[in-house]
Amino acid sequence: MNKKTFTSPSDDIILNLKVLAEEKESARKKLVVTAAKLAATAKKLAATAAKLAVVAEERESVRQKLVITAEEKESVRRKLVVTATQLAVVAEEKESVRRKLVVTAKNLEISHKTLEAKVLERTKSLEVVRAKEGAILLSIGDGLIATDQNGKIILINETAERLLGKKKEEVIGKNYSEIILLADEKGTPVRPEDHPVNLALTRGTKTTGTTYYNMRKDDSIFPVSITVTPVVLGGKVVGTIKVFRDITYEREIDKAKTEFVSLASHQLRTPLSTVNWYAEMLLEGDVGELNSKQRNYLDEVYRSNRRMVELVNALLDVSSLELGTFVIEPMSTDICKLARNVIHEQKPQIEARKIQFRFSCYKEKSMMRADPKLLRMVMQNLLSNSVKYTPIGGKVALSITLADKKHIQIEVSDTGYGIPRKQHGKIFTKLFRADNVREKDTDGTGLGLYIVKSVVEQSGGKIWFESPHENRGTSFYVTLPIRGVTENQR
Amino acid sequence: MKMKTTKKKTAIASKKSLIIKKKTILVIEDERPLLAVVDAKLKKNGFGVIAARSVDQVFNANLEENGLGIISVKDIKEAFDYLNDLEQIDAIWLDHNLLGKENGLDLVKKIKANGGRWKNIPIFVVSNTEGQKTINSYVDLGISKYYVKSNHRLDEIISDIKTSLR
Repeated sequence: MNKKTFTSPSDDIILNLKVLAEEKESARKKLVVTAAKLAATAKKLAATAAKLAVVAEERESVRQKLVITAEEKESVRRKLVVTATQLAVVAEEKESVRRKLVVTAKNLEISHKTLEAKVLERTKSLEVVRAKEGAILLSIGDGLIATDQNGKIILINETAERLLGKKKEEVIGKNYSEIILLADEKGTPVRPEDHPVNLALTRGTKTTGTTYYNMRKDDSIFPVSITVTPVVLGGKVVGTIKVFRDITYEREIDKAKTEFVSLASHQLRTPLSTVNWYAEMLLEGDVGELNSKQRNYLDEVYRSNRRMVELVNALLDVSSLELGTFVIEPMSTDICKLARNVIHEQKPQIEARKIQFRFSCYKEKSMMRADPKLLRMVMQNLLSNSVKYTPIGGKVALSITLADKKHIQIEVSDTGYGIPRKQHGKIFTKLFRADNVREKDTDGTGLGLYIVKSVVEQSGGKIWFESPHENRGTSFYVTLPIRGVTENQR
Repeated sequence: MKMKTTKKKTAIASKKSLIIKKKTILVIEDERPLLAVVDAKLKKNGFGVIAARSVDQVFNANLEENGLGIISVKDIKEAFDYLNDLEQIDAIWLDHNLLGKENGLDLVKKIKANGGRWKNIPIFVVSNTEGQKTINSYVDLGISKYYVKSNHRLDEIISDIKTSLR
């Protein structure tokens, strides 16, 4: 609308204007309506929006729930995965166990078969053993006779048949003591009640001996070594087994050995005695004075010869100890007096080495039952070793005490070179000499302690020593029974 | 050392008195070198010595050597009688193993069985035999002492003999 047109108004225009106004009004009205509609629509929209918001919220909540559910699902899934893995492991283990079981079953089967084979084999070898044993029993070099509980012979081997000159048929089922005659050392027949087989049956005693003689069919006798053993079953004697052997040959060898020792001793000692006594006379000036060089030379000859004599003596002692020809003749002996004699004999050596010597004896007239010859040998060896292996000016002591009511103890101790620790085990061995003394002294046979140990042990005693450190001395101890041993004169 | 027959009788007379004064040892040892050295040592110690290498020789030999002539005897009894009359044996030095069939033990048995003065003559057995049975047999027969030859000096044995004859 233009206000300038208003100044030159015309009706048309005004009408137009009016129409226009009306149209405008109508349009405004329409616009109002439209605005109202729009407002309503806006309201509706707002309501819708609100609804939508609620919906959205619900959706969000749902979504969130869904998220949580998903997480839970994931966790469950993971757990399921772990479980599945575990199950897989278990399955594997099961498989492995199953396999092992299969292997074990196979092994068992193999073992079973092997066992069966072994049992079979063993049964066979047992049969072989039984057959062998039977053959051995019948053919061993020793005579063998078995009796039942009544003393009736149930088995005799070939050797026994041969030794006794009796056939199996003659003796089986017969009473032992009536058919096989036994005589004692003097040739007197052993009475049936004293017969070893009867002793085994009545008292269950085992007899071993080498002082019996068996009688042959032709009444001749031969020396036998016998062992009669009772066969005991459940505490009851159900029979006996006698094993015996003809020892005629052994007796002969024994005799030959004794003779050899005696002969050898004589043979070896004669030339030694000759050298000894001639040298003695020369050294004494009995056949004219010697100059000092001659004297020195001859002195060496004499001393070497003495050593040879000692070696021969020791060797003879060893051989008779080993041959069992060593005679032990126990008698009432004053050990302290004997010890004083031994000490007196070694006085020159003790003095020459300036040894501080001490002797003690638990009481005077200390009598014991012993072979003085052997007791002397023991003390002599131990004392001379101590004197020889103690440096000049050292100390040596010999003491005799009571070890207990039944034993006497001899102790010989010194402050000498001692025995090297690593050689303690060898000190009583024949011909052994410890390194430390071998370096210092060439004299010595290595037989002394071997002899002493044999003698002590054959006399029922004990010997031992202590030598904790080298160059700190040695103590030897010997215990011997006061009542002594039985003599073994051969 | 053989002497002429003519000198023999006078020699017996003169030596006899000498032997009696001297103390005489009868030495019986089969080893010649040993017999010689024992003989020499005993003489050196002032003893008269009659030496023999066998039991048989005790009665037959060595007498000539000692100026006593050769004596033949029919039996032991005669020998002892003869020696008893003629000789003054103060002690016997005896080895066990000897020449001939008899050993020292046989001689000691004879001497002891024969009785008379000989029974009491001290006997020193000097032998290398060490058998305990042999030694015991000698000791049981009453000998003075038994020596293992190689273990003793002549000095020692002679000193023992001297002690026993004092």
